[in-house]
Amino acid sequence: MPYSLLLGGMMVKGQVISGEFGKIIARQKANENIEIGELLIAESSDGKILMQVYDLVYGSQISQQNLEMISGMRLEENTEFELFDANLRNYMLAMMKSLVTIKGKNAFVSKSLPGFFSEAREIKEDDLSFLTKPKNPLFVGNLRSGSKILDVPIYLDGEKVFSHHILIAGTTGRGKSVLVSDLLWNSAGRGFGILVLDPHDEYYGRNKAGLKEHPNKENIAYYTSRNAPIGTNTLRISLDIIKPHHFDGVADFSDAQRQCLNLYSKEHGDKWIEAIILEKDLKIGKVFKDDTMAVVRRRLLYLLDLEFLNNQLFCNGIFQLNSGFATISGICRHLEEGRIAIIDTSNFSGAAELLVGSLIANEVFNKYKNYKMNGNLQNKPVISIVLEEAPRVLGKEILEAGPNIFSTIAREGRKFKIGLTAITQLPSLIPREILANMNTKIILGIEMKPERQAIIESASQDLSDDDRTIASLDIGEALITSNFAKFVTPISIPDFEDVVKDILNGKKEFAVEFSELG
Amino acid sequence: MKFAHMADCHIGSWRDPKLRDTSTLAFCKAIDKCVTEKVDFILIAGDLFNTSFPRLDNLKAVVTKFKQLKDLEIPVYIVPGSHDYSPSGKTILDVLEEAGLFINVFKGSVEDGKLKLNFTTDKKTGAKITGILGKRGALEKTYYEKLILDNLEKEEGYKIFLFHSGIDELKPKEMENIISQPLSLLPKGFDYYAGGHVHIVDDKQIEGYGKITYPGPLFPNSFAELEKLERGGFFIVEDGNARWEPIQIYNVEKINIDCNHLTPEEIKNQIFEKIKNKEFNNTVVLIRLLGTLESGKPSDIDFKEIFNFLYGKSAYFVMKSSHALVSKEFEEIKTDARNVEDIESFLIKEHLGQIKLENLTLEKEEELIKNLMKILSAEKQEGETVPDFERRVKEEVGRVLEIEL
Repeated sequence: MPYSLLLGGMMVKGQVISGEFGKIIARQKANENIEIGELLIAESSDGKILMQVYDLVYGSQISQQNLEMISGMRLEENTEFELFDANLRNYMLAMMKSLVTIKGKNAFVSKSLPGFFSEAREIKEDDLSFLTKPKNPLFVGNLRSGSKILDVPIYLDGEKVFSHHILIAGTTGRGKSVLVSDLLWNSAGRGFGILVLDPHDEYYGRNKAGLKEHPNKENIAYYTSRNAPIGTNTLRISLDIIKPHHFDGVADFSDAQRQCLNLYSKEHGDKWIEAIILEKDLKIGKVFKDDTMAVVRRRLLYLLDLEFLNNQLFCNGIFQLNSGFATISGICRHLEEGRIAIIDTSNFSGAAELLVGSLIANEVFNKYKNYKMNGNLQNKPVISIVLEEAPRVLGKEILEAGPNIFSTIAREGRKFKIGLTAITQLPSLIPREILANMNTKIILGIEMKPERQAIIESASQDLSDDDRTIASLDIGEALITSNFAKFVTPISIPDFEDVVKDILNGKKEFAVEFSELG
Repeated sequence: MKFAHMADCHIGSWRDPKLRDTSTLAFCKAIDKCVTEKVDFILIAGDLFNTSFPRLDNLKAVVTKFKQLKDLEIPVYIVPGSHDYSPSGKTILDVLEEAGLFINVFKGSVEDGKLKLNFTTDKKTGAKITGILGKRGALEKTYYEKLILDNLEKEEGYKIFLFHSGIDELKPKEMENIISQPLSLLPKGFDYYAGGHVHIVDDKQIEGYGKITYPGPLFPNSFAELEKLERGGFFIVEDGNARWEPIQIYNVEKINIDCNHLTPEEIKNQIFEKIKNKEFNNTVVLIRLLGTLESGKPSDIDFKEIFNFLYGKSAYFVMKSSHALVSKEFEEIKTDARNVEDIESFLIKEHLGQIKLENLTLEKEEELIKNLMKILSAEKQEGETVPDFERRVKEEVGRVLEIEL
């Protein structure tokens, strides 16, 4: 290999030839291949500049007219016609932006351009020694340069990113579920409390690879309403613990209907739902119209999966009269002890799922508010609530009807160490101020321009040139933009099944002595 | 088929001399009721005694009753509870079983590291009985996790499962801090699940399982339990229906005072207002005070005068709870209503993993700490000499630590 191809033993892929700050143009070296998203290093007087390719265009020493003529001769007359040396005449031009300037083990925001004709070489693991493991490491994937996966694990500070909200955006099939499975796997046993409302029952892994295989599975609690696997909880929630405000953002009651809920709750306490359905009287007499009462009754029966037959109330779903008194507090305790609680909501209606989420989120939020007031919050683990299809509770239309516990957490949660991990393929439906509050965004491939735009406009770092990069993200590829990352970080998401397979291969059963057995 | 199901007798639980024999008395009453009801057999779902080595006088009374049942050919089937075992695995229950006074149904074998339970069949009725003991800190959970279910669930006939554990899905709100386990750990398809450990009276038919019941204690074991339950009891199960049979030893009178904005003198007057026209024959009186005093401190309340008055009106025993009563200047003091066991468990869990030892998992460390605490808090037994007591403690510590001392 000629010396000029190597820079200190490293592969040169191009040379900086022109451009401006934020748009550095390099000519690609012949026989080298530069990809969108690729990370390249150029030397400058300040240190090494880490750059990322965000666009590629053709370049040529031959005028457009002559190029068309050469092509015509080849296509129509089968004649080879060449001008200049093959390696010199046509080439690619890479548009790059500088991410950071690296000096030793530190990295800073770039404030200068690489020198003219600086060679742009491929990145090596050694260049990235500034990427250190944070205090509460949360592994998110390996660094990716274009489509090449580097042996550089990327860690974010779990405590910070979870409390300051995470948005995971991507079109269906681009790896959102795999990413969430990885995040949960990497969080288990690390002291992060994570509530997962799982509408597809996919994370625990009832019938496939999942968190049930985790070596720290004692830190994972699973609640399901149907046929609970051994050692997991049957989801039963007592009607007694539901309060009218739990329906905020879950069901759209009119003012009169809401007054009815509140009045019955005030007068009948824990038994207010039964009182409405059993048509018990209020002390002040008949206040609400028959129609209002009938609608409220019908909606409660439907939402809570109850049945009223022969003057008796029957519970067909998870909401029960005689059990599940300590379920919500039990789930909160798991979260407060830094465990992951997965709630299988796959056979619930959307409203029932959100009601369960609302019950837990309210309880945990109020508890953490109290801890803050009493000065005990610093001893508590950060809690994140994983919300699939987040616009269902954070969407503009929903929030026009009034705030709900999830929007409250989105706005205030970080003060109380509670954050959301919102998953969506339609981020544009979430109001901009909430999107901007989500300080870490993990972006997977998004095909629709308006959705990319919503992300780009609310990102923690400048993504204005990354529209194409986002559109070209393949399955399992993601970009992380975060207040807690030094630059927009391209990552490769590990295949979750491989992660689990590796663990299963080395798994050992723990032995129990049944010493008292007669 | 007619049988009795009792649990949490906690014989010897009350320390005060006036209540010390109450649980024994309740046990004797319960057995007498079983005899008059002509039950076919009796189930005891753990915590027969409050300690693994009960006082001799209590033991004698209990043995007399078991002997009576044996003579009447009424078999007793038990599982030990979290209070029955010493950390080294010793229990007086082994001696009583050896004497043929009852059968411990926690029986089986270990197959490939898994627990295979055997059924004990009641000769008269053919009922098939098995169960799992309860351990401190709900450590029996690992036994359930390793339990072979196939033989248990496929067995035909009337099946009874004895257990001594709280169930997450069934426990009441006020017991949310009690360590419990998921329902899914119980084997399915039994006709009757005889529970113990959780001091509530509960009887539920659970889909996929069967009737799951807790009879509660035979006599309440604390101020709060007396307040809530007032009395103990047990189930008599006949043709699949469970009837709760109360055991009345004393009447219970509850006096609750909201002390907010009251002075100690006003509180005393309010209490007198409530008791002056009542008689308290054979009654346990419970005085609960809560709130923030307008002035003074809780010790300024003249309890002596109140107690003397109540005893003068033939009260059997008077108790007060004023831990939720605070002076204005001490309002910031925090109280924790959980029981001692829960607080210990919480503190242990918080400090686990600080000592790194080979092969010491967190579960093992937790069990080790709890066992050591239990051994080291043991009291000298009646008739036991100091050297014998020291030797016993030393031996038990050695056994737990697996070293020779």
